[in-house]
Amino acid sequence: MAGVVLAVVLGGVVGALARFGLSQRFPAKAGRLAPGILIANVVGSAIGGAVLGLAERAALSDEWSLIILTGFCGGLTTFSTWSVDTVELALGKHWRAALANLVVTLALAVGTAAVAYLLTR
Amino acid sequence: MIRTLVAVALGGAIGTALRLALDLALPHGGGDFPVSTLLINIVGAFTLGALTGSLWKRETTPAWLKAGLGPGLLGSFTTLSAVAVSAVAMTDAGAAPLAAIYVIVTVVAGFAAALIGLRLGGRSGATS
Repeated sequence: MAGVVLAVVLGGVVGALARFGLSQRFPAKAGRLAPGILIANVVGSAIGGAVLGLAERAALSDEWSLIILTGFCGGLTTFSTWSVDTVELALGKHWRAALANLVVTLALAVGTAAVAYLLTR
Repeated sequence: MIRTLVAVALGGAIGTALRLALDLALPHGGGDFPVSTLLINIVGAFTLGALTGSLWKRETTPAWLKAGLGPGLLGSFTTLSAVAVSAVAMTDAGAAPLAAIYVIVTVVAGFAAALIGLRLGGRSGATS
């Protein structure tokens, strides 16, 4: 159990560093959505969907599911940055960018998770 | 730069450990409504909003501290993948309406929390 907890936390660290790297490599231009955060959220959700599918047909153990899903994917994706970024865009009257960040992120995150799940289960 | 990366890694470890602890304290099956994730995302969005409106704006706040608390701790504490995966799992379990409600409640409550945090933190509407 202690080993699994450590592995989950380590997965979260790797995910957080990957997301930070993406946000630095693909920063947001003023008044636009943040491409690096979008990539991190969509890729993390897609991997999460694949974990759900693989776990369903027992191709992945409970431990590895937890390490990848709760650890790596949880660290890679973020709700706080996405929500604050979007609200700040709206407060700055960048309505189109705010709406795009909301709709595109949500549609791609849930959509890719669903497709990855259906392909891997 | 090294100090910033260490801060992000340390924040990521704490944020992930806190989220795991809440998931274990409020467990949910694959097709159930994930209360822990909802609470995590609301609290995380509010806290980041409050910090963005206050600590972030101070000239004296070092970049490594912002990175460690923002992208590190709160970025890792909150999650979008768990929201997406739970929505898919709930839909697959035959609870599509509940999945839709979960996603909508997460977005509405989370964004409201971010807005309230930004306002309480001192931001008056100008964007950076």
